Amino acid sequence: MPRAVASRPLHFIWLVDASGSMRDDGKIQAVNNSIRDTIPLMRQVADDNPNARVLVRAVAFSSGARWHLEKPTPLDDFSWQDVSAGGLTDLGKALRLVASQLAIPPMEERALPPVLVLLSDGQPTDDYKGGLEALLEEPWGRSSVRIGIAIGRDVDLEVLQEFIGDPTIRPLQANNPEALVRSIRWASTAVLKAVSQPSRGRLRSEETSVTVPLPTPVTVSPSGPSSEAVW
Amino acid sequence: MSPPPRPAFNSLGSGDRLISSTSGSPCVVREFIGAGGQGEVYSASLDGEEVAVKWYYPNWCTPSQRRSLEVLISKGTPSERFLWPSDLVSQPGSPSFGYLMPLRQKRFRGMTDLLKGRIDPTFRARATAGLQLAHSFLQLHAHGLCYRDISAGNVFLDPTTGDIAICDNDNVGVDAEGIGGVMGTPDFMAPELVRGQSLPNTQSDLFSLSVLLFYLFHVHHPLYGKRLLQIRSLDLKARIKLCGEEPVFIFDESNTVNEALPWEKDPTGEAGANAFDLWKIYPEFLREKFTKAFTVGLKDPKNGRVRETEWRMVMSQLRDDITYCPNRHENFVDRSARLWGTPPTEGAGELPPTDPCWVCSATVSRPPRLRLGKTWVILNADTQLFPHHIDPTRLYDYSQPVASIVQHPQDPSRWGIKNLSNRAWSTTAPDGSQASVEPGRSVSITLGRRIRFGTVEGAIAA
Repeated sequence: MPRAVASRPLHFIWLVDASGSMRDDGKIQAVNNSIRDTIPLMRQVADDNPNARVLVRAVAFSSGARWHLEKPTPLDDFSWQDVSAGGLTDLGKALRLVASQLAIPPMEERALPPVLVLLSDGQPTDDYKGGLEALLEEPWGRSSVRIGIAIGRDVDLEVLQEFIGDPTIRPLQANNPEALVRSIRWASTAVLKAVSQPSRGRLRSEETSVTVPLPTPVTVSPSGPSSEAVW
Repeated sequence: MSPPPRPAFNSLGSGDRLISSTSGSPCVVREFIGAGGQGEVYSASLDGEEVAVKWYYPNWCTPSQRRSLEVLISKGTPSERFLWPSDLVSQPGSPSFGYLMPLRQKRFRGMTDLLKGRIDPTFRARATAGLQLAHSFLQLHAHGLCYRDISAGNVFLDPTTGDIAICDNDNVGVDAEGIGGVMGTPDFMAPELVRGQSLPNTQSDLFSLSVLLFYLFHVHHPLYGKRLLQIRSLDLKARIKLCGEEPVFIFDESNTVNEALPWEKDPTGEAGANAFDLWKIYPEFLREKFTKAFTVGLKDPKNGRVRETEWRMVMSQLRDDITYCPNRHENFVDRSARLWGTPPTEGAGELPPTDPCWVCSATVSRPPRLRLGKTWVILNADTQLFPHHIDPTRLYDYSQPVASIVQHPQDPSRWGIKNLSNRAWSTTAPDGSQASVEPGRSVSITLGRRIRFGTVEGAIAA
């Protein structure tokens, strides 16, 4: 029987601000919880989009930037380890780190546009413009879909808008934990869906087992008069 | 890509109470089911009944969206296959709104499950699903409505029976009446819509229907051939080119720039290896319809597209053309190209050999067939006849068979056709002898035997 429909990789990268201020008001904990809570929903979206193979990574940035989850990870294997906060807001280094991995190789020649979701509560402390330039120099960086989530009221929304690069997409402003949950849910479901297949919502499918009865071949009997043929 | 919708800051929570517009009944939200581009879907309880609620994101809560929903609600569902909006709901103190619809039964699985290879319905179930899909489109169009955005995500099927359910009907609109909002998924849109040269209408729906059917039978998109291999980022722009600006069918014999490639030439399958494998196993009459839909049908919306009634007939013929190899794999007996190439004679004559099984290469023995006017039904152990087989005035309705294939209770080597209808048939043997086949009785499957079912006479042939 036919194999599954052909699919392309869809790289989904979280860029998480782990600066010292993220410790205030439990912001980093709220980010950790929200991303963890959204994993089942992401799996569901991926399940509904046969043309995409979703692979997740995460970068944490504070004083410097590091891969928090370096290996592109299929959603089925993806679990979220807590990011801890402390230090500066080196967004530019995070963007350079992502840019280095969006080069071909290691990126595939053919893929769906990558999705980059930036979560930040403050203002960059390094050369973020240089980082953004490095990102946009890569073809996959240019064609990526970039979403910015502002945590709290101290964020420079213009920086997020610059990162997003598309005036029709505005930064999401998450001023309380509920709004953060919803923003992360939206970025990881609706955006993921829009990239894998520009399409609308659908209901969840439930697993059910299926059995098919097996037929036996029909054979033709020797001809005879109708009186014997009816039973 | 298109800009993603604005975020939802109006999500519902479990236990939230909504008010339905018409009845005023309270509706209690149960749980989040899924999120889409326009809103979120929840399960809910309305007067003790389980229902689904689609709750729009704020930017979709527009007067025009409300008006078009009101039209759909007042028109009512075209058939029970649609999970149709039944009432508007609102939340006290909120400008947002949504609508109620039936909750999808658990037996239905998404077309997306089929595309992911998680379900593998039989060809019979696929043909049944295709027939129901074509019939549902016809009913929708008969109501003066059309889709603005149908895709694999809207279509669900029961993998065992092929019964379908069509979800997310809130973007159905009045035929050829343009409003803002969703234009659709390029993969499923007619080229003239992708190019922005036309508004959704019946003709564009016919194209979408053909794409859905092609997916159902080939697990691949009809326009995604070897040109895919030149496309780095498969974004909206690329899809617009493939589906709108320069669409070329992957089996267009007169233009091979986008032909389907086999697995050995493209191990990713992106250039249509699934379709390459499956295309050749179907009867010629199915290939002809797809070829029409995706060659002339790309350019000529008015006259080039395959109509719902044509698809219904093709799907019904497909069901009747299935046979089995010794290892029980389904195969098609190709009436137009192989078995019935010349005007058939009853029973006699040398027939060309059947193809080996497409799965296991075993020899497929030629099954007996029942000739019915201009058409045929292959007789397998699981074959059933339905009202349309024995009465050309009846529509395709597979709910109640009028005949089934049975084995003689004392002699299992004798096969027969059992009368499940409430009218007697008459049968004539090649020697001219006649007998009546009362309801509940069976008549042996013997070469040359004729059976009169009311107005239609059938003949058993090799």
